[in-house]
Amino acid sequence: MSKYLDLSIKEINELLKNKTIKPLDLVNEAFERIESSNLNAFITLNKEEALKEAKELENKEIDNILFGIPVAIKDNIVTKGLRTTAASHILDDFDPIYDAEVVRKIKDSHMIIIGKTNMDEFAMGSTGETSYFGNTLNPWDNTMVPGGSSSGSAAAVSARLVPIALGTDTGGSIRQPSSFCGTVGLKPTYGRVSRYGLIAFASSLDQIGPITRNVIDNALMLNVIAGRDDKDLTSSYEDVTDYTSLIGKDIKNLKIAVPDFYMSDAIDKEVRNKVTNIIDMLKKAGCTVHSISMKYVENAIPLYQVIALGEASSNLARYDGVKYGYVTSEYKDIEQLYKMTRYEGFGREVKRRLMIGSYILSGKNADKYYRKALIVRKKLTDEFKDVLSKYDLIIGPTNTDSAYPLGTKQDDALKSFYDDLLTIPVNMAGLPAMSLPIGFKNGMPVGMHIIGNYFKEEVIYQLASYIEKELNLNLDPRGDK
Amino acid sequence: MYETVVGIEVHVELKSNSKVFSHSQNEYSTEPNLYVNEIDLGYPGVLPVLNKKVIEMALQASLALNCKINKVMHFDRKNYFYPDLPKGYQITEQDTPIGYDGYIDIGDKKIGIERLHIEEDTCKSIHGKRGTMLDANRAGVPLIEIVSKPDMRSPEDAVKYLTKLREILLYLGISDVKIEEGSMRCDCNVSIHKPGTPLGTKIEIKNIGSINNVGEAIKYEIKRQSEILDNGDKIEHEETRRLDDKTMTTILMRVKETGNDYRYFPEPDIPYVELSDDWINDVKANMPVFADELKEKYKNLGINDNNIKTIIGRLDLCQFLESVIDSVDPVTASNLLTGDILSYLNKNYVSINKIKLNKDNFSELVNDITGGKISSKQAKELVPYLIENGGSVKDAVDTLGLNEITDTNALNDIVKRVLDSNPESIKDYNDGKDRAIKYLMGQIMKETGGKANPAIASQILMSLIKDYKL
Repeated sequence: MSKYLDLSIKEINELLKNKTIKPLDLVNEAFERIESSNLNAFITLNKEEALKEAKELENKEIDNILFGIPVAIKDNIVTKGLRTTAASHILDDFDPIYDAEVVRKIKDSHMIIIGKTNMDEFAMGSTGETSYFGNTLNPWDNTMVPGGSSSGSAAAVSARLVPIALGTDTGGSIRQPSSFCGTVGLKPTYGRVSRYGLIAFASSLDQIGPITRNVIDNALMLNVIAGRDDKDLTSSYEDVTDYTSLIGKDIKNLKIAVPDFYMSDAIDKEVRNKVTNIIDMLKKAGCTVHSISMKYVENAIPLYQVIALGEASSNLARYDGVKYGYVTSEYKDIEQLYKMTRYEGFGREVKRRLMIGSYILSGKNADKYYRKALIVRKKLTDEFKDVLSKYDLIIGPTNTDSAYPLGTKQDDALKSFYDDLLTIPVNMAGLPAMSLPIGFKNGMPVGMHIIGNYFKEEVIYQLASYIEKELNLNLDPRGDK
Repeated sequence: MYETVVGIEVHVELKSNSKVFSHSQNEYSTEPNLYVNEIDLGYPGVLPVLNKKVIEMALQASLALNCKINKVMHFDRKNYFYPDLPKGYQITEQDTPIGYDGYIDIGDKKIGIERLHIEEDTCKSIHGKRGTMLDANRAGVPLIEIVSKPDMRSPEDAVKYLTKLREILLYLGISDVKIEEGSMRCDCNVSIHKPGTPLGTKIEIKNIGSINNVGEAIKYEIKRQSEILDNGDKIEHEETRRLDDKTMTTILMRVKETGNDYRYFPEPDIPYVELSDDWINDVKANMPVFADELKEKYKNLGINDNNIKTIIGRLDLCQFLESVIDSVDPVTASNLLTGDILSYLNKNYVSINKIKLNKDNFSELVNDITGGKISSKQAKELVPYLIENGGSVKDAVDTLGLNEITDTNALNDIVKRVLDSNPESIKDYNDGKDRAIKYLMGQIMKETGGKANPAIASQILMSLIKDYKL
């Protein structure tokens, strides 16, 4: 079996350019690997179409570095003519009539879509276990959760099934599974990447981002998907830069803040030690690193439950059995059609969150919870802005711990939110942030969180590339190749 | 005696080119689901765009209704389940209506406007043999909802209010405001109480089919509610009723549920919209003139009341008149427009923009009439010709042969005048000099601007000159 997919994007691009390999070789290899994998990382494969496109690319000029590169797409991003389910029974036969803007851009770059990755249903969950299609396994230890909700994307990249996958992040859904699977996952600034075609969970928090094996591949992928889209009014006019431009550049003048909240007792000690080691490394490299305190970050989880679930209850109202998707088989009136379709079509976690969200927006509760949450969110955002007016970056652990066994938190609705204790504040403020692998705890990857200023993703990549190079970790879960 | 309290909610479809939150065409069609895209259908992953033109139209309406403007406004989601609502929520403006606290002057008093906001229309449900089908052509069509304060006290007030509101919106050119086609929909809240006592229970009458029927519905409600109260009974619950236009009575549709919970919250997919003073002023500067101002203007120009009424009632005529009014005599122009031209338009069900009589030839015609070049009798012949064929008046006159004077009496006078002032030529003629005739004919032609029929003129000249006594 060939091993082209173990190479970096740049190396693959060289082989394509000097005609050592064809896109078809990459696509064949990806499907061989996926078909022999037990991870359940994909919901739908795009085999026929992918092979056809790979052949067509043979007659095309290689016009960019991602030309011919296989990519996996999280299954809450719509792909025209390719089943898109959001891992839900209610959309399990849904065939979109249009492409998401990111998919359009991927196709324009002549990347090849391999398939749609598994995830928590409607991105609601942080273990991958709420998927209607069964959970994904962690490539490092199949008894462990891969994290979620972008479980399949992180697992597929970690296991070298595809070099790049797209994830989405509402409260940590790119960063947490990246941390658990030992991949590089970036949630861009809110508004950096178009949400058009992203099946909405919480509109004011959702953002699409790349999951890759290394930092530069991640930046290359962000180059493809970033930019203003007139179809998404919340996308930004802010100029797009070359996100690889600062990779390898000297970091000695970077000013970095570490909030005490991110290093508190709520975080596993070994994880904290790993981060502390990195802090020492950065100080040696000439960075200024200060411990700071932030007042509002601790409110992030209740904020998330109010804002994300409130918005979700409205965003998911359209799945009613009238227009598309699952319809209950027997009903006597429209009321029953709605009730039974949604009762049968949604999983437990989704229904739980929709009920909480509806309650939060009901009558006077909207003022009591939702509007109040918006005020606290503004305070939290201002606090981040203040910190980032003095520092270039904020760092800490991505998660409170490394991956835990499958089945642990399924019945504790509240506990699973605590996985996102450190990631949610970033979504609330709309900032960009990355999870970068910095080592292992009992053989499971540990991720570090690098939070940047608005639209300054390139500075995150600058720091991350330095740490990546210094650590030079072996991040291949397959052991000896 | 009871006092009647009436408040009216009006939904008006705006005639923008595209829908309010998508690029689909905003067009009526008898073929269902023709003007529809994934946004209108509420497909997974779609996001709304925002039609700037709709904001400008709503801003015009707000300004015309003397409203204050919410300079920073956002949209809200109104959440409820109904098959005609593809997303499960309607995008509207709950917190920050674009206009608020305005009024309409209905002559003897002002009726307050509580709020004016932008929202999207729903699908149209079509109930038939195959069950209920949905037509999404209407989904996402821009609406403005105009909510009056409960300031009306009689059916007459309500009719005046709606007539005036309709006229204002019509003159803004932002809506067809046709109640019968659904581009203007009226819901009316009626209650009665004894002055000095608390307000009575509101009864809502939905979707009334004409402005006059709003008056009828209110009249019936006053009678119905008075009878209940006179019997010593109470109007216990708020109700929604409809008008049966055959019997002119209202019929109960449903008793209103209390505490309708729409779970409003700010629409996260549309950023706040800022209406800068520059933008507002720009919209203001480009607002058309209103009917009231035009009536006043036409009166001052000497146009008679009947003509004013006719012209104001037909927006196309009014706009046409406005386009020429500075270059023609307004009275003559209004007479022509409300006379043969309007008859033609009415007979053929066309607007003045669809005929070949245009600004240019109409102005030429009016000026020729006022300049005495064309008689009103000739104008009568010219109008239908110009409507059908277009072109300049000059060409029309030639084609119709209206430029020759064939009237013997008229020519007699002209020839006499020419002879009187040319004794030398008569003398020459009597002396046998033939060129005198030629000269005199030339003088006749000169006198008539070349329009005299040469054969007739020459005949008259020959007979008159023979007997001319010098």
